[in-house]
Amino acid sequence: MSDPDIANRMDQELARLIQACAARDRQALRQLYDLMSGQMLAGMLRILKRRALAEEALQDVFVSIWQRAGQFESARGPARIWLLAIARHRAIDVLRGERAELYREADVEQMPHSGMEGLGDWSSAGRSAAALARCFEELSGEQRRGIELAFVNGYSHADIARVTGEPLGTIKSWIRRGLASLRQCLER
Amino acid sequence: MKHDQPQLIDALAAEYVLGTLRGAARRRFERWQSAEWHIASRVRTWEGRLMPLALRLTPVAPSPEVWARIEERIRAADVARADAGRRAAARPGLRALAAALVLCAIFAGGYFAWHMTESLQLQTVATIKGEQGPVAWSIELDTRRERLRAVALAGVTAQPGHSFELWALQPGKAAPVSLGVLPNAGQLERVLTPAQRAALAIAAQVAVSLEPPGGSATGKPTGPVLFVAALNRA
Repeated sequence: MSDPDIANRMDQELARLIQACAARDRQALRQLYDLMSGQMLAGMLRILKRRALAEEALQDVFVSIWQRAGQFESARGPARIWLLAIARHRAIDVLRGERAELYREADVEQMPHSGMEGLGDWSSAGRSAAALARCFEELSGEQRRGIELAFVNGYSHADIARVTGEPLGTIKSWIRRGLASLRQCLER
Repeated sequence: MKHDQPQLIDALAAEYVLGTLRGAARRRFERWQSAEWHIASRVRTWEGRLMPLALRLTPVAPSPEVWARIEERIRAADVARADAGRRAAARPGLRALAAALVLCAIFAGGYFAWHMTESLQLQTVATIKGEQGPVAWSIELDTRRERLRAVALAGVTAQPGHSFELWALQPGKAAPVSLGVLPNAGQLERVLTPAQRAALAIAAQVAVSLEPPGGSATGKPTGPVLFVAALNRA
């Protein structure tokens, strides 16, 4: 079976589980957790850097999935995207929220700083990932680095300016132009 | 913030999903997308584009206590919800009274509306145009909001192989309701269905999307949203 087929079947199974959660099936939430919590935590940990903080945010995500499952519409997009988006938005919100302050003193896990360092390949992510991989190749090195640091490490424009040593305006323009090129390429 | 700048909206949606839209701007954008369907749809498109990046990370197993805490929290949330439901059910008298009052208001309102608006004159309720260009369509409704007339003006650039379709945007995340295909030239008049009238009654904006000839086959917009315009109360 090809990778896009696997990704597609995974999305169908996740969609079924989300619908079961909407019908208050707690076993379905547990199955969703088994399938997705590792992938979600990996992303949230990269953004939040502290394990205790990321795990608390992960709890928020599953409580939120339990409460919002009825809003999921499979016709509007793959289930995996819906689930990962909830996790990602939660991590970004926590990053600048009060809770991050409480954990400031806690141990900061050593995280790679170069965006995609330590990442697997694109193959497990299905057809949409293949298109994104191709379009990433068309970006300039700076645009790619800016977008990866923002997305994977959860860096703000100012954070990226700090780690790259480039002026803030330059970073904003890398990202703006990079996103515009990605859109153009993905719409082709 | 202007609502009729598709490029700006798309750029904001992209930076929101990327995570570089922060602070007050992020919160403002979240309120905006939860109120407006076409903005939420831009966000979903960008989530679909960028989220595969997150799938490249190697999964990290959470500590065992995380699931236990989630179970505790959803149990507490479900109990709170059931309590709220019981409290509401315990007041059937109040609810019946409220329903009766609403019905009275609807009948009284309807009667006055009927009296006040016997003339069926058409009034312009929306003017659809690009940011700078000339007006593309003028949308008119009769005073009873039963008939809709769309008049094509200088700003219409016909798109071969496509139709323009008009939508009543609904509050919250409800899907927009089609008000039919717009003319490329001249004018088109139609009697609105009850569903269209209900959708118009609560809509604050209308939108125009590019669709296959004859309009969207799915009942929802399928092509890009080209214009969004405010709907004036006639």
